[in-house]
This record gives sequence, C-alpha cells and structure tokens, in this order.
Amino acid sequence: MTATLDFGIPGLDIAPGDHVCALYMGAAERDEILFPYLTAGLRSGDKVICIVDQEDTRAVRAGISDGGDIDACIQSGQLQLHTSADTYKACGGGSFCTDDMIDFWDDSLGPAMSGGFRFARVVGEMSWALSSLPQLDELSLYESEYNRLSTRYGQWGLCLYDLERFGGGIIVDVLKTHPKILLGGMVLDNPHYLSPDEFRAQRS
Amino acid sequence: MTGAPSSAGAGRDTGAELRARLSNLQGLLVLSMKMTESGDEQRILHLATTAVPSLGRCRLHGVHLLNGGWRTMAGPCLDAEVRSDLETQLAVVSSAGGAVAIRREAWTWAFPLRSIEGHFGFMVVGADEQPPESDQFMLRALAQQTGVALANARRYAHERASAAELQQANAALAGTVAALQRSKRIHDRLTQVATATEGQPGIAQAVHELTGYPVVVEDRHGNLRAWAGPDRPEPYPKESQAHREQMLRRAQADARPIREGDRLLAVASPRRDVVGVLALVDPAGTAGEAELVALEHGATVLGMELARMRSLAETELRLRRDLVEELLAGTDDRSALARAEALGYDLERPHRVLVAEGATGRREGEDAFFHAVRRAARDIGAGSLLVARGASVVLLTGAELPWEELRVAVISWMSQGICSMGVGGRCERPADFPRSYREAQLALRMQRSAGGDQRATVFDDLGVYRILGDVRDTDAVQRFVRHWLGALIDYDEGRGGAELVLTLDRYLAYGGNYDATASALKVHRSTLKYRLQRIREISGHDITDPDTAFNLQLASRARHTLAAVRGEHP
Repeated sequence: MTATLDFGIPGLDIAPGDHVCALYMGAAERDEILFPYLTAGLRSGDKVICIVDQEDTRAVRAGISDGGDIDACIQSGQLQLHTSADTYKACGGGSFCTDDMIDFWDDSLGPAMSGGFRFARVVGEMSWALSSLPQLDELSLYESEYNRLSTRYGQWGLCLYDLERFGGGIIVDVLKTHPKILLGGMVLDNPHYLSPDEFRAQRS
Repeated sequence: MTGAPSSAGAGRDTGAELRARLSNLQGLLVLSMKMTESGDEQRILHLATTAVPSLGRCRLHGVHLLNGGWRTMAGPCLDAEVRSDLETQLAVVSSAGGAVAIRREAWTWAFPLRSIEGHFGFMVVGADEQPPESDQFMLRALAQQTGVALANARRYAHERASAAELQQANAALAGTVAALQRSKRIHDRLTQVATATEGQPGIAQAVHELTGYPVVVEDRHGNLRAWAGPDRPEPYPKESQAHREQMLRRAQADARPIREGDRLLAVASPRRDVVGVLALVDPAGTAGEAELVALEHGATVLGMELARMRSLAETELRLRRDLVEELLAGTDDRSALARAEALGYDLERPHRVLVAEGATGRREGEDAFFHAVRRAARDIGAGSLLVARGASVVLLTGAELPWEELRVAVISWMSQGICSMGVGGRCERPADFPRSYREAQLALRMQRSAGGDQRATVFDDLGVYRILGDVRDTDAVQRFVRHWLGALIDYDEGRGGAELVLTLDRYLAYGGNYDATASALKVHRSTLKYRLQRIREISGHDITDPDTAFNLQLASRARHTLAAVRGEHP
C-alpha cells in the first residue's frame, strides 16, 4: 500500500499513520509543501481535510485545483477545507480544547474511512496558536494526543509551523510530539519523539 | 553572578535528561539547517534569538556585529547606555568569547559569532544564574551555527548583488549593442539610398521602412516632394507661409527633430538658401529614440541630396550660360555643337536670338525679370538657353512662336512690370548667332526709337528699316538724311519742343490724313496745319509732291535706323 501512496513531494519515504511536522519560513515555502500534498491526495481519491489560517481560502483553492473541480470535491465530501477560525479557535467554546479538537478529527475521519475512502490525509496550519494560546504547552499536548488517532485511522497528518512567526524556540517542543520532520525537502525520523503516554508522564 | 561555563552535573544525568539534551541537540541541528538555507540575515537572527530560551534557562540580550553594530536588542540592551558599556567590554573580549557584566544581571556571557573568515561579532546571553555546562554548550553551538549562517547569508547577498550588477551591466550592454545595431541598420540603409541616388522618394521610402511610420518630404514652402507609407492626404494640405517660416526657424534653432502637430520633423539645410523637411506622421506621439535616430540620419541624407541636386542644377545652368555667351560672341560651329550635345541640347535646328528688356515691381528681387523670362520660355516651349545681360535677358530659341504671346507670358510671371522684346533673324548654324543677336538688339532699339507701347518686334518684319540697318556706309545714309531733313532737324534742336520732324514723320506715315495725324500727335488740327506750313517754309519742300514725300519718309526712317544702330535717340 505504501508504494502506491503519493505524498506530493517526490522522494519522501512516509508510511501510513505518520504524523509529520513541516518547518518552513514564510507563505511561499508553505505553499510549496501544502499544494502538492493536497493535490496528490485529491488526485489519488483520498479523503482530504485541510485547515488553513487565512480566512479567504480562494488562493488555496486555486493552488490545488490542478485543472480539477474543487467545488465538486467539496460537495462529494472528498475535500474538507476549513479555517483555523472555524476549527481550532472554535472548539471548546472559543477557548481551545485538545479533547474537542481530537473529537473533530475523530468525527471527520471515522465516517470517511468507513464510508469508502481507502486512505485519508489531513493538514493543519498551526500559526493560529500564537494568538490563541498564551502558553504553547496546550498546543504540545494536543499535538501529542493527535498521535493516538494515527494508529486508529492510519491517516497522514501534516502540521505546518512557520518559523518566521513561531521563531526557533518552537522546534524543541515540536520535536517531542512529531515522529517525523519534513525539513528542506527531506523527511527525518525523530528519535526524540515521545509517545502520548511518555509525553504526559514527562509533563507531570 | 557571572562565571566561566561550568562542568557541574556532567556524568550524573538521568536517561530522561540525556534524552532531553539529545532532543535539544537535534533541535539545534534543525535550527541550523533552517538558518543556513534561509540566506537572510533578519530571518537568521530571528530564529537564533527566539531559540535561546528553548535551549536553556537563558534569554538573549542582543547580537552585536563588529562591522554592523547592534542587530537584535532585548531586555537591558534596549538601554543605549547599557549597549555603550557592553561595546566597551566587547572590545576587549577575546574572539573565543567571555563574560561581560550588565547591572542587575546575575550571569551574562558573550558568545562569539564565527565563520571560516574569523570572528565577526557576539551573541550576548543572560540568565538569573549560571547555566549548566550542557546548556552553555548548546548556546555556544547556537552562536557558532548562527555565525556560519550569517556569514553564508552575507556571502550570498554579496554574490547576489554582484550577479545583479552583472545582470544590470549585461542588460546595459545588450541595450547599447541593440542601439548600435539599430543605428548601423539605419546608417546602412540610408547610405544605400545616398549612394544609389534614389532621390527624395528613396529617402522617404527608406525612413518609412526603418520606422514603420508614414514619411513625407517637403520643400521649404511646404510643397510635397515625396511620400512613403499609407494615408497620403489628397489634396496635400498647405500651411500659411508665415506659419511655415516660424516652424522652420524653430526647427533650425533646436538643431534636432521637433514635434509640430501630429508630425515629428527634422529640417535638412545644407546651405542657407536650400531647405527641405523630412517628417514622420505620428499622431499618437509614439515615436521613440530609434525613430528619432532614423529621422535625424534621414534628414542628413536629405540634406546631401538637396545639395547634390542644387549643385547639379547650378552646374548645368553655368554650362548653359557659358554656351550662350560663347554663341553670342561667336564661336566655331564644331565646338558649339559638341558642347550643346553634351548638355543634351539640339543646336542643329534653326534658332533665333531674342532680347527681352523690362522692369519689375519694386518688391520683387533683382533676378525677378530673369526668372520671369525663364519660366515663360519654359511654359511656352521657347527653350532654356538664356543668359542675363545687364537689364536685359537674351534667349536662344529654336521655336517659331507667337512672340507677343511669349511677352505677355513674361509679364504674367511678375506681380507688376513691363517687357519689350526684339527677335533676331534665323540662325542656320552656330556662327549665325552674333548676327541674330545684333538684329534682335536693333529690333528692340527700333521699337524704342519708334516710341509707343511695349511689344515684341521681329527683325524680319522691319521692312525698309531692315534694309537700312544692313547698309554698311552709314555716312551716306547720314548725308541723305541731312539733305532732306537737315533744316527741320536744326530748327527742332534750336527750338526745343517744335517737333517739326516728328510732325512730318507722322503726317507722311498716316498718308496725309489730317485727323489721324493730329490725333496721333495729340494736337489740335489747326496746330497741325500751322506746323505743316512751317515745315514747307523751313525745308523748302513741297510735301504734297509724291517723289518728295517718298524721299522725306525714307529720310525719316533712315534717321530712326541710324539712331537705333548707334544706340541713340533720334
């Protein structure tokens, strides 16, 4: 099955269920990762769930259309295109809640996988946390808990961190919650990844 | 408190701590990769400064570059005094870095920023207490990686600037080469026109091909000489003379193409009296530098063409004038025929010499009468061999014309003026021209001598005057005149205004008709009768006798002829 999956960026070795952290600088670099990833998923017939920070998603739609009909993909349910405002920032009654957000993914991925999609890929742009979470500890907890979903649905998860906005300090924390890192066109295994249980134990 | 990096705690780390430290190291590696591939100084400093707290319980105070000053400032370094004090301390800190002091900070350390070229600044970090050695190592590694990334970024920026300069230089060079190629193409094409003597239509066509705009060539007065390209107006419009002169003055003063209405034009003026205009029809005003160059080159070639044409015309005119002068002075037939043939002129057909005299209006130039004769002769087909001699113009014509018609045509070419003509006898060969010239002059003098209106007098039609004019022994003629009219001439000369000779001449010319004679003389019939009585008394001749009347009339005409031959007034 792995051999047939197309991440969108040539030469990357990513297995089903991988939770990948992409570290980039600036919107142009983000698009170089995001658009091929989504386009490949739509082309492959995968369930695709995307959360971006910008309210206006027209640029994203244009970037991933690849000649296809994006409206049709949305109407068929293959593509869910969300913004941070209607997902991360809305869950927990407007104050971010890890459990609520995990439920969102569960509610989205569960029906999709039982409804006929053979594979799913999700992606989330994380810059929303800078304005919504005074302490990034809650973000790390959420990222760690997300890993439990990966084993359940085998989906690809891609988290987008803009270092221009987060700065270099986020890197160490991110490394603890993502088993793989997408960096400079390469995917690196992260030996310092902590499982959700290990992470919770370390926090306590 | 400040102090050297400590080795405290080494070797006693738990597995979790070691794992965390390795995780930090991997984080630093990731950070280093992002800084290196960033290539931008601001981004690198942003990543480095924001990473400091995550690598240890420290905070960044600032980044100071030896040749760039403070780049990042935080905490106490926001205070200018603190920065100034730190700069003094950094000046004596070795390139390996070391402790520096900031008031109320327990621990402050300057970590060196280094690259392969050497040390070029410091990253100043502070903490509430001296960090463990492992954290200090991470900070030193971060500073080192930041230094390398900054040096790479600077080198990249320098290379990018050099590449941009090169690109700029290449672009400028390419622009220069393109302009030179355009200029060469223009030069080559117009040189081809000039050497091929394609004339004004060729120049207009070449400039049209080079620019794509309709091109027009005009003379000084705005008359169309050549047009190339579409949309030629019919009829061709002509501006007022005053406006034209004003435009020419402006163009000559600017010494470069000027815009005049919907046209971009350049003046070609190889000599003060020779002017041509070359213009691009450009109503949208889109002509650029390349079109200007083509127009200026075109105007230069037009100037050469106008100078060539004027020189040719002047040479031909001079050669014709020389030929006319020689023919009038007398030359051998063979030489004259050869020179006429070289000018493309057929001198072997019969010719006549015509002498025209006249006067033009005061406003017209000195050459106005000459040009009037030249134009009239051209229009009426009387030929083009002519020369000015004093106030008269001599024309050698091979045509037999209604000469009065030619005279009227001359007058029509002047705004106001008069003209009289004398036409000599036929010349069968070049050697006859001096004779025909004399005859034309004589005819003109006879006309002047006889008085009355200006007209064309043909020598062949002079009758008895012609015979008298040919008599070689003028003394015999003079004696004949004195014999018959001497007493009356002396009486007239002694009493100014008596006009007895004139009265007799008119009386005999009108066949003794009193009324006609009185009318011609503009005197009363009784006055005429009185004068005739005095003529009889003084001369002693019976003027009613036919033989006497014939001799008196002949003597009167002989007197006119003698005066004409001698160039005198009778």
